[in-house]
Amino acid sequence: MSVQTSSPGPITATGTQPRNHDGQVIAITVFSTIKLPGRLFLPVLFQVTRRVPKLTATLRELSFIHFARWCVIGKLPYNGPPQKKGRFRYPHMYFESNFNGGWEEYIDAFSHILTSGMTAFWGTSYGFPKPLPTAPFKRYIQDNETEADHYYCAYPDATSTMIQRALELDEKLAALRRDAKRMQPDAFAAAYRAFLTDAQNAL
Amino acid sequence: MAASVRMDLGDIQGDILRAYGNDYDCTTYAFMKIECPPEQARAWFTGVVDHVTTAAPWPPGEKPLTTLNVSVTARGLRALGVSEEVVGSFSREFRDGMSSRSALLGDVGPSDPKSWEPGLGSGDAHILLTINAQRTSDHERALGKMKAAMDAAGGLRIVYQADTELLPGSREHFGYADGFAQPAIEGTSDDKARGGGVPLKDGEWRALAPGEFILGYPDEDTRVDPKKRLPNAPAAPLGRSGTYMVWRKLYQDVALWRRVMRDAAKLYEGGDEHTLSAKVVGRWTNGAPLVKYPDKAPASFDPQTPGGNDFRYDKDKDGMRCPLGAHIRRSNPRDALGFEGHLSFRHRMIRRGMPYGKVLPEGVTADDGEDRGLVFVSFQASISRQFEGVQVQWLNAGNIFGLGHDKDFLLGDPHGTGKMTIPGKPPFFLSPQEVFVRTRGGEYLFVPGMTALAALADGTAG
Repeated sequence: MSVQTSSPGPITATGTQPRNHDGQVIAITVFSTIKLPGRLFLPVLFQVTRRVPKLTATLRELSFIHFARWCVIGKLPYNGPPQKKGRFRYPHMYFESNFNGGWEEYIDAFSHILTSGMTAFWGTSYGFPKPLPTAPFKRYIQDNETEADHYYCAYPDATSTMIQRALELDEKLAALRRDAKRMQPDAFAAAYRAFLTDAQNAL
Repeated sequence: MAASVRMDLGDIQGDILRAYGNDYDCTTYAFMKIECPPEQARAWFTGVVDHVTTAAPWPPGEKPLTTLNVSVTARGLRALGVSEEVVGSFSREFRDGMSSRSALLGDVGPSDPKSWEPGLGSGDAHILLTINAQRTSDHERALGKMKAAMDAAGGLRIVYQADTELLPGSREHFGYADGFAQPAIEGTSDDKARGGGVPLKDGEWRALAPGEFILGYPDEDTRVDPKKRLPNAPAAPLGRSGTYMVWRKLYQDVALWRRVMRDAAKLYEGGDEHTLSAKVVGRWTNGAPLVKYPDKAPASFDPQTPGGNDFRYDKDKDGMRCPLGAHIRRSNPRDALGFEGHLSFRHRMIRRGMPYGKVLPEGVTADDGEDRGLVFVSFQASISRQFEGVQVQWLNAGNIFGLGHDKDFLLGDPHGTGKMTIPGKPPFFLSPQEVFVRTRGGEYLFVPGMTALAALADGTAG
């Protein structure tokens, strides 16, 4: 009888390793070895996506993703012995991202919503399955993911959406406070209600 | 797209894909502990398996007076002699059990497993027998037979029993029509796709792949797999035709709910307490969705009629009709999360809950000390992705809906703070949030298919 493991790898409360999260925020770090075409293609891809923001609009619309970063590394900074100096035999792609929610939801969004983008970024890495179906893709990410030694988040209880909304609210509240100084009670009542209506999504 | 899949209904237990229906108004859930060697337990189990009701349709007029269904916990599998290797092929959360996931699930404070009812969440529950009956007399007869078989076998003990009964009009205790919004499943309930399936870009809907609910069939992931690989499942034969089951006893503080709504409505300019309560739920008491009927409940509404559950949130992005944090919008956001439903379509579950306890008479706002609430039951292929995904990301967190730390006002544990915004001009803030619902106990179970049940009974499940 063949026995399959039903959940690929360790699944904790958030779907990731304990040291990969701080409060609401989860960090993901993935290394993958790049095939020869990737050495030429990826730097171009990085430049193009940086210069044409429209290409990554969907990624930025997914508000639970704080950021996602891909880069190619050929060597690690030298930190002294016992580390050996030198370059990697093969360049690697380094991917890091911070997000809220669960690990599975995050990879699901990558697979289903950013399908072609995932192929563009990881397509030249060894062993990359297609982004769909998600099960082999999840296994690939999990196999290449490293647990953080230390992960720090300045606002562990907040998400990027919350911080963004708080900044919007701050601006609106500051305007109300400024204008309120010159208002009669009736005018303030009207302005306060208008403020609540305007800022309700940030309250 | 995959061609419609034929389901082996004779191998799947009943009441999962299709509900037995409202003809069965009494349900008993009996959790048993096996206190004897596996061989002895399997001898009893063989007798039980012979009476299990399957999903095969009944011939007209031959609806049984009672039905029997069986599910097992991870400890139950071991007690029946299943090897660690095979138990290890089940999902992590199933093996760990519901009580070990309490922090994640928000089962804290008064819902903490430490104060659960004895027999639940303690490792004593091994096998769950679910008995449905059309009449109380049939019900008693079936229970009597079950107990006689247990006594004859010896070494078995009922550690927890919940007796439930439908309330008039299929309502739950807060007074709302419940249980009719179910996922539409390919090959089973394609006719319910509108409102029950996946909302597509062009305004159409499609039914969900059966593997989202029954193991051994293509799911939403593998339906597009050119290699036709099936989703992960426990080792054969247990991985075919089975499903995971979540069982939770949820106490509802009806008097508190009524008092809070009554008092808050005094300040609510948008309407009376019925409107305010409907805003919290997202439906009027008769089940009519606010997104379609924002101002008042239609005089008559049957959620079971075709189209009764067919609605989207695309014309209500700001939640002026149905608040962004309304219970039904959180627990099944349909198209509300955008991206063609891709953030929500893998978090659906079949619900087969039953209310328990006597109704608190209408208008009463003082607690009468009665235990009443809902036995929540859901079936899904993955407890972590489906049940826990909804519970953790949608009900107990607000971020994905742009609601910050707000939790579901009806079910969420507020931790002493908490509020709900009822969008409006100006908006209304419902606060503080009280604990209306408390978890009294629960288990993660597995509902084996018929072949799998036979293998468990024979001791050949591995």
